[in-house]
Amino acid sequence: MRKLKYFKSLMAITLVVAITTACTDQLNDPLENEELVEGTDYTQTENMDQLLIGAYDLLYDLQWETFPLVSVRGDDVNAAGDQFPLSETDEFRYDRSFWMYNSTWLNFYDDIIKWHAAMEEILKYKEFAPNPAEADRYIAEIKVMRAWELLQLSKLWGKILIPSSSQTDELYTTPVSTQEEVMAHIVAEMDAAAPLLPTVRPNQRTDIRGGVTRYTALAVKAMANLEVKNYQGVADATSEIISSGNFELFNNYYELFKTAGKLSNESILEFQYSDFGQSSGDAEYYLHAFFGPNNWTPARAGAGPGWGFWEPSLKFIKFMLDRDETVRLETSVLFTREGIDIIKSDPNYSTLPAWVSNTTRDGDVIGRTDNQPNPRAKFSSGKHYLPSNELTPGRNRYGENKNFLVIRYSEILLMHAEALVSGATSSAMTADQAVNRVRNRAGLGDITGATIDDVLDEKFAEFGMEWGIRFYDVVRHNRTAELNYDGRTYGSDDRFLLYPLAQLDLLTQLSDQ
Amino acid sequence: MKKTLSSYLKVLPVLLMCALAQPLSAQSVVVTGTVLSGEDGQPLPSVTVREKNTLNGITTDVDGRYRLQVSSTQSVLVFSFVGFVTQEVLVGNQTTVNITLAPNVSELGEVVVVGYGSQEQKDLTSSISTVKTEEITKTPTAQAMQALQGKVPGLQIVSSGAPGASPTVRVRGVGSLEGNAAPLYVVDGMFFNSIDFLNTSDIASISVLKDASASAIYGVRASNGVILIETKSGAYNKPAEVVYNGYYGIQTAQNVLKVANAEQFTNYALSTGSSADAAFINNAFQRFGRSRVNPNIPAVNTDWYSEVLEQYAPIQNHSLSINGGSNQSRYSLGVSYFKQDGLLKFTRNEYERLNLRTKMDFDVTENFRVGGNVNISNGTQYVASNSVWFKTYFAVPILPVFDPQNGATPNQFSNAQVLGYRGSQNPMYDLYYNDNRNKIAKFLGNFYAELDIIPDMLTARTSYNYSYSQINARNLDFEFGDGNVDFPSRISRNHATSFNQIWDNYLTYTQSFGQHNVTGVLGYSYRSETSEGIFASATELLPSPSLFNEELWYIGQAQVRDATAYGDFGSKLYGTSYFGRLAYNYNDRYLVYGTYRRDGTNKFQQTWGDFFTVGAGWVLTEEDFFDAPLVDFLKIRGGWGQLGNDGITASVGAPTVQQRFVAIDGDRVPGNVVIPTFDFVDRWETTEEINLGLSARMFNERLSVEADYFQRDTKDAAVTIILPLIRSNVRRSTAGIRNEGFETAINWSDELQNGIRYSIGGNLATLNNEVLSLGGPQYLDAGQAEFRQRSIIGNPLEAFFGYETAGIFQNQSEIDNSGYTAEFITDSGIVPGDFRFVDQNQDGVIDDQDRVVLGSYLPTLTYGFNFSVSYMNFDLSADFQGQTGHSILNRKRGEIIFTTDTNIDAELAENLWTGEGTSNKYPSAAGLRKGWNQSMSDYYVEDGSYFRIQNVRLSYNINGKTVMGTPMPDTRVTFTAERPLTLFTYNGFNPEVASGIDRQTYPIPAVYTLGLNIKF
Repeated sequence: MRKLKYFKSLMAITLVVAITTACTDQLNDPLENEELVEGTDYTQTENMDQLLIGAYDLLYDLQWETFPLVSVRGDDVNAAGDQFPLSETDEFRYDRSFWMYNSTWLNFYDDIIKWHAAMEEILKYKEFAPNPAEADRYIAEIKVMRAWELLQLSKLWGKILIPSSSQTDELYTTPVSTQEEVMAHIVAEMDAAAPLLPTVRPNQRTDIRGGVTRYTALAVKAMANLEVKNYQGVADATSEIISSGNFELFNNYYELFKTAGKLSNESILEFQYSDFGQSSGDAEYYLHAFFGPNNWTPARAGAGPGWGFWEPSLKFIKFMLDRDETVRLETSVLFTREGIDIIKSDPNYSTLPAWVSNTTRDGDVIGRTDNQPNPRAKFSSGKHYLPSNELTPGRNRYGENKNFLVIRYSEILLMHAEALVSGATSSAMTADQAVNRVRNRAGLGDITGATIDDVLDEKFAEFGMEWGIRFYDVVRHNRTAELNYDGRTYGSDDRFLLYPLAQLDLLTQLSDQ
Repeated sequence: MKKTLSSYLKVLPVLLMCALAQPLSAQSVVVTGTVLSGEDGQPLPSVTVREKNTLNGITTDVDGRYRLQVSSTQSVLVFSFVGFVTQEVLVGNQTTVNITLAPNVSELGEVVVVGYGSQEQKDLTSSISTVKTEEITKTPTAQAMQALQGKVPGLQIVSSGAPGASPTVRVRGVGSLEGNAAPLYVVDGMFFNSIDFLNTSDIASISVLKDASASAIYGVRASNGVILIETKSGAYNKPAEVVYNGYYGIQTAQNVLKVANAEQFTNYALSTGSSADAAFINNAFQRFGRSRVNPNIPAVNTDWYSEVLEQYAPIQNHSLSINGGSNQSRYSLGVSYFKQDGLLKFTRNEYERLNLRTKMDFDVTENFRVGGNVNISNGTQYVASNSVWFKTYFAVPILPVFDPQNGATPNQFSNAQVLGYRGSQNPMYDLYYNDNRNKIAKFLGNFYAELDIIPDMLTARTSYNYSYSQINARNLDFEFGDGNVDFPSRISRNHATSFNQIWDNYLTYTQSFGQHNVTGVLGYSYRSETSEGIFASATELLPSPSLFNEELWYIGQAQVRDATAYGDFGSKLYGTSYFGRLAYNYNDRYLVYGTYRRDGTNKFQQTWGDFFTVGAGWVLTEEDFFDAPLVDFLKIRGGWGQLGNDGITASVGAPTVQQRFVAIDGDRVPGNVVIPTFDFVDRWETTEEINLGLSARMFNERLSVEADYFQRDTKDAAVTIILPLIRSNVRRSTAGIRNEGFETAINWSDELQNGIRYSIGGNLATLNNEVLSLGGPQYLDAGQAEFRQRSIIGNPLEAFFGYETAGIFQNQSEIDNSGYTAEFITDSGIVPGDFRFVDQNQDGVIDDQDRVVLGSYLPTLTYGFNFSVSYMNFDLSADFQGQTGHSILNRKRGEIIFTTDTNIDAELAENLWTGEGTSNKYPSAAGLRKGWNQSMSDYYVEDGSYFRIQNVRLSYNINGKTVMGTPMPDTRVTFTAERPLTLFTYNGFNPEVASGIDRQTYPIPAVYTLGLNIKF
């Protein structure tokens, strides 16, 4: 009996020793389900394009507050709704604590840092790629995206940081670059990228239809030059796009901003979204609800309304009426019945063209129909409107399945004209030709001897509600008196926003600015 | 409810009859005798001698003698004295009853469970608080830890009101920023992160190992404190005892927050100066009419809280157990059923749990024992959408619940969008149109064999502990329309299983050499934790799901299946440990203690770690020179130890790739995004702790005092670093954190001559939480950018950080004389009715340099006290607890930064600044919407202090009674009021907010129960 006991304990001890040694091996097991970059097989170069697609995801994944903050300050549009940071910014009262500032800053920079990471990864593939030029082209595409976002950042904040890699540790010592330095950097980047990119329209690309091409790079280069008034640089870059003959204006201005206008021959940069034709489930969606009227009677019942946060200004509407604009006004502005009454209350506008209506040509009735006031927007942006009858059955979100136009060929034409009337020269096209091409599409007749006034008016009419183009135009040409309307006063130091407090806390170099 | 209540009503009269029924024999008997102490054989003076269940009693004289006349030979004498075991003797034919009282071993000689063994209380050099089953079952709750609130100094319990949700438990502050700094729970040897699956009546004791010297034997898992749970066992040589223990009661929401009513809201909205808000009110007039009392107010005045809150929600628990044992075996079996309904109407929010358990021990031979226990827990939890709380707070009162005009389907709910508001606001959509069920199954098994290799000296024990748990979540969104938009139905499922095992093998050596007493433990433990699961979701179920076709709630019924909406997950973690413990004492006077554990895991790049502790104690009362007659026992003790925390999320330590999908020309194309930033948590967090304490018993064991001072420093704590320019935050092992405090518990218990027994106790704990280091920077930001929290060296972790207010500017001259520069006043656009922020650096400008620490979510003082009285068959006890020194971020008030058009709380609406002298606390209605006033300031950060009557309990005992000759089982009827009153000033309805950020918190209900305990 006693022997048995010792035998038992001996057995136990042996077992313990055996298990002890066996189990320590498990301590070196890797963590489950974590794919590491360092585990990437860079010889699998066919995976390289995954990084490029991922880069487009970052570009298209724009949070809703970004576009309004970039675009709100012009005299074409007003912030409606309850977003205090937006309406304050609209009236040139800036605050470092506004949540939208930090959020927009991060929305752009987050993409930029991740694009650097993607470019660094693609370089590693390049070594093994059968066609290394392909890797260079991918990098060039991403550089265009990065440059476009840097451009937006500098338009908002002027002096900004130019990150040079995905290493965030470097940022603490990255110097702050002036706006001139930022634009020079963008121009240099685009000069390096453009030769590597395909010379086709975005909608002619077969691998990534609607993706970046050489003309996108040239467009961004032109915009960077424009921001620092390097008009010859603008003229050169736009000339190259125009001379290519690849682009044309979409013949129907109204439909350009609807489903029919997706990836048109006018599109130079366009953010793509889709519901993939399914009634529910997966969808890539831009939050167009921000723009939509908060009351409507859609032609297709059950279609969701918007927030009513983006209101074309009365100044813009009257400007368009004064010019006898038709399709561009109809496309830019959705009228409520109350809004129409407000316009008419001005004796100069007591009679409006018959087509001005609170019912769109697609049959959606905008605003309240019970003679009650519309609490937010009296007008909404028609450029961000998708008629309810174009929604995929089952989909009810406002503007679902609608793309977001970013750079259009008409902007190239009018930048070209602006450069020429500001002293630049070009053999591609005259200022008059450029302006008239845009006017003709809008159903307006030719003008001759275009002046800077004509060009800026044309841009105002053509790009209302789009990307703050109007604001940056009047600031660039020192016509900021235009911004003093409806009680606003634009001050001399109102060009740039204040740095977000959360970033000031992290980056001490910003507080020295 | 009716059924259970009526069965009580049937039982009650019988019980009352028993109470009144007195034995009928009337011949009185005189009994005399002497009481001696079992400790030294000396006579015991002042012993209470009482005739049971009467007021008749006397105390012994200086020679331990007594004389008492009792009513009959059937009388039972009760001998009781503090520090000794109470004895009962049937008088019978005796006229002399001499008795020797045994010293009460349940006090000093009590055995305390420590890791891998047990120790006597008097030999402890560390701080361990044990709470027994009687205390635990006082609280009507599904969560055993909830019962410890206010009872253990240094243990902070933050209650959670949602049915089935576990409270947040913190031992001695927060030494880790992750995993809620939750302690390790060891249930009969098995490790758990929570004991939410146990029924309170299955637990024999809960021991909180507070200091490092006690918990270090759990090494890498011990840093947040260790809580040992012993489930109930049988007893050797005891006939079977069947016990029913149950209660039924109601819960009712407490301190329901008052939000602005239609009048207050309308006044507020109109005084904001916003034309949109005025238009909304106007729309309400048009659609729903004007109030007949005040035509300037809309007719509708919805009190949303009363629309969504049940007045009463039932709670019940029933446990049946059988315990006993022969001379070679013991057993305990139990079954429990718990059910708690939630406080929300119209949606399933409830928790139901069935527990089955059994525990058996067998002496196979004199020197060989085996045993095991199994606990099966099966729960179903229905969780209401948390957004209900959020929307109920914010829904405007001028919106009715129903609005047939609106065209919502299937119920005709209203939609605030018809008035112009941005959201639908109506919480009914969130209440009605989703159903979230969690099926939670846990299986716990512990099996052991123990062999005395050398009897009474060397024992080997091997135990295998096993837990298997499964959580099956099913969330269903019903199809509905809110009048504007139609929403499709959607189903999602998430099934997770985990399988954990621990195999412990250790030797225990006990030997005495004269006055030298030694106990040593040496062991090895293997641990594995595996979990895996899958999830999937789909939309548009056919037929449309409703509560009447639950049998068709399957993904297979859905018409559209998302390609991204399925996936799986898993983890495998291993641990290997060697451990040892040595306890030595000389003549019960000098105590020395030490443990060592070597832990290895695969979770971090750091595989192995060593954890030591040493402790010492000195029992002064054993010394000859010690001569203080009132002090029975005095021990001073101290310990130092090292602990680890691997309960933090491991990091991959390298950039990762995320798959995304992009729409390219209408096709869904996969792509990869490189996330260049990554967590680098390559080691576990380590804590070093010093504990100094004393234990004393005085006045013949009537008074007991425990006091401890501790300082615990955590280093390499994983901390989240907010990076510039990028949304990703990264975690690094760089923070040093100190928690320091003083804890004391004092108890007095005594018995008066007339048989009244009473006790009074109190405890309090202080806590000073402080950041020691951050690996370079002086501070790290945390929290949301708009509601900044900041960890600054020398200040509490993640303290709220912003401007200090100094009232409201009442008029322009106050602004002009504020000390702000004229330029700043112009630029900032301050007007009367705005906050006056303190210019901390007095530079005339309010900017980021003027921000200061506004408060911490950790209380600096927690306290509890209690009293209990027993007299004849009645027991009354009351517990009180509270905490102070912590802050709550009123994030609900902060929501106005993002959405302005919602309701506000009544306190704010009533007390807004409306002109000079009207308020020095709140800004004007217009001011609420200004950026100036929305800056993070102490306006949002409120005092979170509270005091609560935690538990009041009245019991009536019926023992040793017969009804018509048949002996009645021992029965106790109990009325319990749990949390009947909570006092606080915070402007929310619940001062218990674990993170300190109150955005949507389930209210903590008061609970009133009637309980019954019967022993057969």
